[in-house]
Amino acid sequence: MTVAKLDEAIDSLSIDSVGAMLDTHLQLDEAIDTRLQAVMADTESSAAAIIQQMRQLYDAARNLVQILSGTSVKSEGMGADILASMSGLVEIGAFIEKLPTTMKRDLESVKQVADEITTLSELVGEIQTISLQSHMLAINAAIQASHAGSSGAAFQVVAKEMHALASNTKDVATRINKGLTRARHVVEHGIATSITDSSSRLDVVSHASKSIEKLRDSLGYMSEHYQARIATVTRHNEALARDIAEVLGQIQYQDVVRQAIERIRTAITARNDFLQGAVEAAINRDAHFGTLPAQLEMIFSDFVTEEDHHRHSALVAVEGGSEPRIELF
Amino acid sequence: MLMSLQNSLEIAGFNVLSASDGAVAMKKLEGGAKPDLIITDINMPNMGGIEFIGKARGLPGFRFIPILALTTESQQAKRDEAKKLGATGWLLKPVGGADLSKIIRQVLPGA
Repeated sequence: MTVAKLDEAIDSLSIDSVGAMLDTHLQLDEAIDTRLQAVMADTESSAAAIIQQMRQLYDAARNLVQILSGTSVKSEGMGADILASMSGLVEIGAFIEKLPTTMKRDLESVKQVADEITTLSELVGEIQTISLQSHMLAINAAIQASHAGSSGAAFQVVAKEMHALASNTKDVATRINKGLTRARHVVEHGIATSITDSSSRLDVVSHASKSIEKLRDSLGYMSEHYQARIATVTRHNEALARDIAEVLGQIQYQDVVRQAIERIRTAITARNDFLQGAVEAAINRDAHFGTLPAQLEMIFSDFVTEEDHHRHSALVAVEGGSEPRIELF
Repeated sequence: MLMSLQNSLEIAGFNVLSASDGAVAMKKLEGGAKPDLIITDINMPNMGGIEFIGKARGLPGFRFIPILALTTESQQAKRDEAKKLGATGWLLKPVGGADLSKIIRQVLPGA
């Protein structure tokens, strides 16, 4: 298009056509503004949803930390109880380990009893010998009493009594001997059985203390293992809670964006008011028509200045900003 | 913004009393609310943060309560105005949870 044709086109523009263009322009801006408001509402509702979900996540993490903390305390208590029980078991183990020695000593005592029984059996033999000798004496006394005739009658009675005493002594000695024999058999059988039965078990018993100590060590290791795991999970959950708090901080950008859109909408509204006024000034041949460029410049300048006041809120650092992000007075 | 900040503070272990703008906050303070710390935005409807800081400082018993401004506004003139009216600090959004907790503990030792 040549300059002449352009001039011709400009000359052909009527106030009505300019007004129609302005209407279309305003409709466009209105559509843009509606969309911007929708964007603001969308970012706001999505930010609110994110905050709610992050809060739920945080609450879940905090509950987990509390549960783990409770578990840790309980397991510490259980660990202490187990260790206390283990101390008791270790004492029992030590006692059991001494059992073979104790049993051996007890068997020695029983063997001594058996030896005593054997000694007593020998004494019974001596009693039987005495009984035989008494019997012989009774026979001799009876012979001597018969030789003495009537004067030996009383002595004959004594000889009979001695004979009866010797017989009784022999019977008693025989019964004692039988009893001692049975007792000796019982004791010897008991010793033999005890040695046979316990010999294999004593080997197991001798390791009881070591087994219990091993069990205690295993429980101690297991307890430490789970304590360490719980501590790790707790640490990670605390880090998660911190990260969630940081995410919530970053969601403040939604507010930054919202305010930026509001400033843009304010500038657009000011410009549209200006355009409307400009058309009216043109129609009315307003005397202030010449100040329109300066007015538009001011709208532009206000917008740029206002944005400059918020440049620190940009996600990416902006050059030239000297004001600190955080300042305590 | 309010929701985000409230959750950040609650997660950090603080009890939070919130208000949608300066006017609502003033009503709460005049009604007897006595927070240990006030955090206010600057650009708010009905009553902005600068005006709120000035009015809150004028309430009996609020002379030494820390007031932090949390805003997108970095204009030095507004900072100076807030400082003059009694603001304790100026924080530019966004401020992460850890930073916010650190600052609160700076102005509220023992918090």
